Amino acid sequence: MAPLEATLPKSRKSVSMAAIFERFGLAIFLGVLLVAAALLSPTFLRPANLVNVLTIAAPLGMVVVGQAFVIMVRGLDLSVASLMATVAVLATAFKATSNDAIPVIFIAAIVLSALVGFVNGWLVAKRNVSPFLATLAMMIILQGVRFAYTGGAPISTLPPGMSFLASGRIWGIPVNLMTLAVMAVVLSIVLHRSRLGREIFMVGSNPKAAFLNGIAPDRVTIACYVICSVCAGIGGLFLLGYVGTVSNWVGQGYELDSIVAAVMGGVALSGGRGTILGALLGVAVLVVINNLVLLLGFPIEMQLIIKGIIIVGAAAFYRTRLV
Amino acid sequence: MSALLMDLRRNRLMMSYLIVGGLILLILVAGGVLSDRFLTWRNVTNVLQQLIVLGLVSLGQTFVVLMGGIDLAIGSLVSAVTVFLANFLDWRPDLVWLAVPLALAAAATVGAVNGILTVVLRVHPLIVTLGMSSVIFGGTLMYRKEPGGSIPRALEDIAYRNVGGIPVSAIVLVVVFAIAGLWLQRTRAGRNIYFVGGDAEAARLNGLAVGRITVMAYALSGLCAGIAGLFLTARTGVGDPRIGAALTLQSITPVVVGGTILAGGRGGVFGTFLGVLLVTMLNSLLNFVGVSSYYQWIIQGVIIIVAVGFHTVRRT
Amino acid sequence: MRDMSSTVIELRQIEKSYPGVKPLDRVDFTVRPGEVHALLGENGAGKSTLTRVIGGAVRPDAGTITYLGRTVAWKNPRQARETGIHIIHQELALFPELCVAENILVDAQPRGALGFISDKARHARAAEILAQLGVDIPTRAHIDELPLADQQMVEIAKALVGDLKLLILDEPTAVISGKEVDLLFANMRRLRGQGVGIVYISHRLEEIFEIADHVTILKDGQVVDSRPVGAMTRTEMITGMVGRQLEQIYPARRTVAPSGDTVLSIRGLAAGPRVRDVSLDVRPGEIVGVAGMVGSGRTEVAEAVFGMRGIDSGTIELDGKPLGDHRPRAAIDRGVGFLTENRKDEGLFLNLPISSNIVAPDLGRVTRRGLVDRSREREIARRQIADFAVATPSPEVKVGSLSGGNQQKVLFSRWSRISDRLLILDEPTRGVDIGAKVEIYRLIRKLADSGVGVLMISSELPEVVGLSDRVVVMAQGHVVGEVPGEALSEEAIMALAVKTVDRRNAAARLGEVA
Repeated sequence: MAPLEATLPKSRKSVSMAAIFERFGLAIFLGVLLVAAALLSPTFLRPANLVNVLTIAAPLGMVVVGQAFVIMVRGLDLSVASLMATVAVLATAFKATSNDAIPVIFIAAIVLSALVGFVNGWLVAKRNVSPFLATLAMMIILQGVRFAYTGGAPISTLPPGMSFLASGRIWGIPVNLMTLAVMAVVLSIVLHRSRLGREIFMVGSNPKAAFLNGIAPDRVTIACYVICSVCAGIGGLFLLGYVGTVSNWVGQGYELDSIVAAVMGGVALSGGRGTILGALLGVAVLVVINNLVLLLGFPIEMQLIIKGIIIVGAAAFYRTRLV
Repeated sequence: MSALLMDLRRNRLMMSYLIVGGLILLILVAGGVLSDRFLTWRNVTNVLQQLIVLGLVSLGQTFVVLMGGIDLAIGSLVSAVTVFLANFLDWRPDLVWLAVPLALAAAATVGAVNGILTVVLRVHPLIVTLGMSSVIFGGTLMYRKEPGGSIPRALEDIAYRNVGGIPVSAIVLVVVFAIAGLWLQRTRAGRNIYFVGGDAEAARLNGLAVGRITVMAYALSGLCAGIAGLFLTARTGVGDPRIGAALTLQSITPVVVGGTILAGGRGGVFGTFLGVLLVTMLNSLLNFVGVSSYYQWIIQGVIIIVAVGFHTVRRT
Repeated sequence: MRDMSSTVIELRQIEKSYPGVKPLDRVDFTVRPGEVHALLGENGAGKSTLTRVIGGAVRPDAGTITYLGRTVAWKNPRQARETGIHIIHQELALFPELCVAENILVDAQPRGALGFISDKARHARAAEILAQLGVDIPTRAHIDELPLADQQMVEIAKALVGDLKLLILDEPTAVISGKEVDLLFANMRRLRGQGVGIVYISHRLEEIFEIADHVTILKDGQVVDSRPVGAMTRTEMITGMVGRQLEQIYPARRTVAPSGDTVLSIRGLAAGPRVRDVSLDVRPGEIVGVAGMVGSGRTEVAEAVFGMRGIDSGTIELDGKPLGDHRPRAAIDRGVGFLTENRKDEGLFLNLPISSNIVAPDLGRVTRRGLVDRSREREIARRQIADFAVATPSPEVKVGSLSGGNQQKVLFSRWSRISDRLLILDEPTRGVDIGAKVEIYRLIRKLADSGVGVLMISSELPEVVGLSDRVVVMAQGHVVGEVPGEALSEEAIMALAVKTVDRRNAAARLGEVA
């Protein structure tokens, strides 16, 4: 049965079939989805709608590409959404009204995010705390910190330039999408071509063996959590300009959505497997389905039901392939 | 040397019980000192009444975690049960005797579905229960977006009635935990959960029906969610699709504090019980002293980290 | 005496196919009561599939199984177990954090008055069974506190809980040696005397001659031979498994004494409870075998050299300079490699391609400006695959899909690439079939001949004797002697290995674990 089959050398033919399916399955699914969407709803392909979809997808995409790194080393980061909101609150803490403050806000956000990521990674790597619990605790702590600061009330002191980040365009392309593209390209190079990326694959595949081959799994793990948090922090900055005021719940649900999108994109929870492109495709699928549900006039709650089914379905799909 | 080692392992669990117990006592003392209303019968009764909901979801979570899994759908299931009960009884208040068993059975069934999906699809329980949580929540919302419904007086009573000065819910909680503890330690089915949690592959090789045991653990979790939902409905008087949302993650802290590690195979319900006591009493104390709930969150996060750090065996 | 007319189990014309492979091709296999029946064959020959068929985990596509006179077709392992069949797998199926008693009894724990499991009764029953086996293991100990040999005894104890009719042992001596093997064989003989049928799977031919009555050889899913052990010679066994004559298993030993300064020099090493006082040398071009019982500290010495564990006292010098920094990275950078005994858990990145596995310790040399040079990596991989005869169509194949022997070759190629000075091998041919073993022995000799010092830890005495230029023997954390090449023999080594070892009782053994 299953474990035995895994030890027998597969015939060449079945390997390539499975490999093709595994690599392109999601893209095919997305393609089918897009076609179905276009057929089912005339509004779907309207530029306004597409831009809308992409604008919503961008901040989530930023979080997902970071989350992918953490999942690759057999971890999880549940604190990303809470971090996004905390970054948003931090941005308003400057009480800045001029756009000169924006670079400062960015730097502060990245520093805070890196710090949070470092703590997460340290707890997981050096103290052996399970990623689920370490990042859960961090999520709750960040929540407490920002609520204590804001007293639970939303604030709205932001430089006007911030909303440009969220919904502005350069040459017709949304700024946040461009930023996501840049992030994705850079991180893809890091993961798939750089030495660090190779070490990440090895640590995720077999941490003990990685150590025995002279790699420092702790450092690699911490790096992944830092990358994840910084991405989430950037995502938080791009998300906050979207709404007029900054609520304490910015990015709510993104932690689970980002994990779902990554898993759908082929980033395995068991570690050592996945691609940045896959993770982005996962986001695309999620976002398109949500959009479709709205356009077709289904109650918004349907999104939740469909999302749930897709999560389980996608994971099952990959599971049966990877045996 | 070796005897000491053996005892140290078991002692770690014992030690943690002692520490948590000590902390609970500390809270009682601190409460009595810091506030003259903390140790009043009224407040104690109040706290005891609150224990049951968190206690039951934590118990449900314990079954699943012991078996090596996790249940992220438990909170949404609790909400669904409250909505079901409150609306059913709003329609037919005389059918309490039917509604309650029906709700419990349905909750256990949903739990079983979680388990079945995990086993059949061979998908990580994190993903399965996450997905199901979304489905359940969506479904509940589609039925009822806002809190509503009503319950008959008879049901309200179980939340507020006292027997000999002790709230019914507290008695139920202790009884349920006691039965659960006995079941887990001294019955074949209960030990099976430890086997599967210890090493699922070894369990399979030993001829245990891993699939069935898995489904059983999730069904029990669902049942606990059902009972929790029952008491929650009794207390609030309505069904609210969002009421259980926070419960899922809240159910993890007592489990972790109580020494049941996420990998499974180790720990037990007694630890969870202590964990529930600790968390609830700490919250109560902090509320009394005027610490805002925001700082309470921070404290809870720190507690999780400390508890896990204590129970995690460091591998060199 | 033995009843020749009845059989415990009779498999006839069993066939099993999977896409692309046929592990069982018209296999006949019979076990009689009171018989130890050895099953020999290379990895991939079909032994484990056959075991799974007997155990009920796999249903054959064709053929019949007659068990105790009745035709059976089990749907799952549980059914087979209930009828008295017990398999002891190579990976023990124990629960590390539960106590010995629960591990032995599993779901057959005795109940007390109220129908609940009785703590007293279960420990009593477990102790009873352990006494039958002649071992003294505290029933309240947790499995992960016990040494491997004791864990295996617990596994065997499980078999005695029910009414045992057929016992299958899959490579039980892979992790034990010496006295523990004697105990195991003593128990096997006892069970045999009670009429239990025993299937014994092992690569160690000497053991088969010692304990087995009958032997069946599988090759590529077919039975090539099945005879009483007395009617077979060692050569015939090997020929049967490999399918060809193997003139020589071990390459010629080095006749010229190695020259030059020592590569590795260990003096008075103490590192943790398992290593008390170890001194040894390895010169360039030498293969130094390290023999000793399991638990004598050999692996721990290797770990200390490789920077995996701290040193309490003593010195380790490489090429005359101390090996400082306790990290594998430091050792690797100085030209030291370590092929560990547990390739799946510690060696291979199963889901990564062969090329990634080969360059793993040496990423720096295939990285330029922070990026990995894939074409260079592939080039290296292709060369290694050719040099080491790894059977694979391409370097991009995931290493998890290779056979055990080929995986070991990949690992060997990884380490020999970077081991300029010293290569440490720990059980280099464990779980590797005889064909691949011979190739690996040649590779080791070739590497040594190129000037690298080789430190080889092995529990397979024939291998140690056959391949090493000289042998260092360890016992209980000490080096108890050295056997030079000319005087090498299994007896000489064993004499040293047991020299200072007392009758260790279980309590003391537990103490060693700390």
